[in-house]
Amino acid sequence: MTAIADGPPRAGAHRGRNISKLVIRLGAFVGFALIVIYFAFTARGFTTPYNLTNIVEQSTILGILAYGMTLVFAGTGTDVQRGGIDLSIAANAGLCAAVYAVLMRAGYGGYVAVPAALVTGMAVGALNGFAVVALRIMPLLATLAVMNIAEGLELTLTENTVVAVNSPLIDTLAFGRFLGISTLSWVFVIVSLALIWIAHYSRTGLRLYAVGGHAEAARAAGVRNGSYVYGAYIGAGLLAGLTSILIVARLSSSTPGTGQMLLPVLAAALLGTVFSRRLIPTIGGTLLAALFIGTLANGFQLLGISSYWVSGVQGALILVVVAATSFAKNS
Amino acid sequence: MTDTTPPTPSRNLSFEALSNYAVIAAFVLIVVFFAIFADGFLSGENLMNLVLNKVVILAIVALGMTLVIAAGGIDLSVGVSVDLSSMIFIMMIAAGMSGVFAVAGGLAAAICVGIVNAILINRLKINPFLATLGVLFIGETVQRVSTQGGVPIYLTRGEYSAPFDAIVRTGLFGVPTPVIVLIVAALAVYIALHRSVFGRYVSALGAAPDVVRYSGIRVPLHMSMVFIACAAISGVAGILLSSTVRSYVPFSGDAFLLDAIGATFIGTAISAERRPSVFGTLLGVLLLAVMRNGLLLIGWNFFWQQVGIGVLVFLVLGVSFGLRRRND
Repeated sequence: MTAIADGPPRAGAHRGRNISKLVIRLGAFVGFALIVIYFAFTARGFTTPYNLTNIVEQSTILGILAYGMTLVFAGTGTDVQRGGIDLSIAANAGLCAAVYAVLMRAGYGGYVAVPAALVTGMAVGALNGFAVVALRIMPLLATLAVMNIAEGLELTLTENTVVAVNSPLIDTLAFGRFLGISTLSWVFVIVSLALIWIAHYSRTGLRLYAVGGHAEAARAAGVRNGSYVYGAYIGAGLLAGLTSILIVARLSSSTPGTGQMLLPVLAAALLGTVFSRRLIPTIGGTLLAALFIGTLANGFQLLGISSYWVSGVQGALILVVVAATSFAKNS
Repeated sequence: MTDTTPPTPSRNLSFEALSNYAVIAAFVLIVVFFAIFADGFLSGENLMNLVLNKVVILAIVALGMTLVIAAGGIDLSVGVSVDLSSMIFIMMIAAGMSGVFAVAGGLAAAICVGIVNAILINRLKINPFLATLGVLFIGETVQRVSTQGGVPIYLTRGEYSAPFDAIVRTGLFGVPTPVIVLIVAALAVYIALHRSVFGRYVSALGAAPDVVRYSGIRVPLHMSMVFIACAAISGVAGILLSSTVRSYVPFSGDAFLLDAIGATFIGTAISAERRPSVFGTLLGVLLLAVMRNGLLLIGWNFFWQQVGIGVLVFLVLGVSFGLRRRND
């Protein structure tokens, strides 16, 4: 998982390493493909266009939150103890959803409520950044404290109740379609493309990965590390704010318990590393991981497997994929 | 604790001392604050309730977590160990078996979780965070399948053997059994981590894994033992939990996960090298428990308590880490 920190490849080992890396990369893809093929043959209705867009839709919320986590991983490395992590991201989305829903209920229009939700998300992100960059608290711990704050504020705002929301924006997001694809899926596609560009094709993204991969080298090259870490956390907060609107759209309300998504989000972001060439967190990898998790949930539903088994089988499959990858990497 | 890491270059001593004692000072301040402003905070009844209901079980789980974090890992499946041990224990008692067997069964279930973690991490080379996350998901399914989706199991009076009940409720020489178990567990982890060769290797593993590997120390063996010990300790917590409430409520162990991680890392603030220690972890647990109890007593509702604890932890850590690094 810490492939970013790997030393330079030894001379003469290039070819072997490349082949084994190809095997790893393909291994995860083959695993994903096999599962899709299995569902295509056994689960009735799996391959219908309606169901396929449904999978994308089901993966949207998890995916965008996992992008936030991926940005934080990219800017701070994936060493869980010493590197960065954002445990507050799911609670942050819950808080933003509460802000949005409560403002809508109080009669403010979407022109106030949507920016308020996004700003809330960014403010929570900035608090994380402040704690990690300025106060130098361990990210795991800093974001844990922020998670508590966000969860508490969400509960205080909503008094632990469901706050229903009705608005044209929510209707468009929930039921609108364009070119036969739902609005929610379009949001996912647009956010994915934008983030792939920012993270992997822009100067900012290159520097972000430099800061996460080798902080000393980045500093020596004149990159201001602190602002990139701040940026990663604020970006994650902005994505949490964006997701909060999508969550409200999907449920037509702000509902307690969004914080529960933390572990699936972590799973998606970490699993995403096996879908990348160098086994590092990437937006594309996280996209595939979110779709993978969404596909599993959808396939189980169609096969009529008892919901008791879903999380266990997901956990086991994630372990198999990761174990196969690390096996290929070490051999 | 600090003898496994090389001496750090000299720093401004007063700042260093301040930053190391910031958490302790904050704890004392918070206790004094609540003693003055929260009615009944210092009453024997409240302190007993605080220790028995808020401290003991979290502290035991956090001790296990301390071992794992000291070794440079993390265990997200402590809740599964707590729950599975609690489940097997209660099921065996309900089936009419004796307490001793039930305790052994519960511990065995927890140790199984530890062995699975150890295999995933050392044999299959999965990073501890992901491996234990996977086990957490699988543990949820195991509990759902064994309880028809998550139905709690309550013991009736008859199923609960009287002598065993007496031990759990009254303890020895007036000290409640859970407290005795906590003291024993703390001593055991203290010796294992701070006073034994094993503990030195474990701490070294966390501080400088490559050095340990090149020194020929058997990393997988030590890692495995750490994860199995953590699961076993969490299993003890599970048995205590279910014997105090005489029931097994599925997924109740999950509540300890983030607090245990938080307490362990808060505890690192008292060591100069920011390393986990038994004393630090216990202080972290007490800090969290006192804050929760005190905020409740001064009349904050659960929602604001959550915010308050977050802000307080944030401030304490900010002061401790901020002072520390200012002069790096």
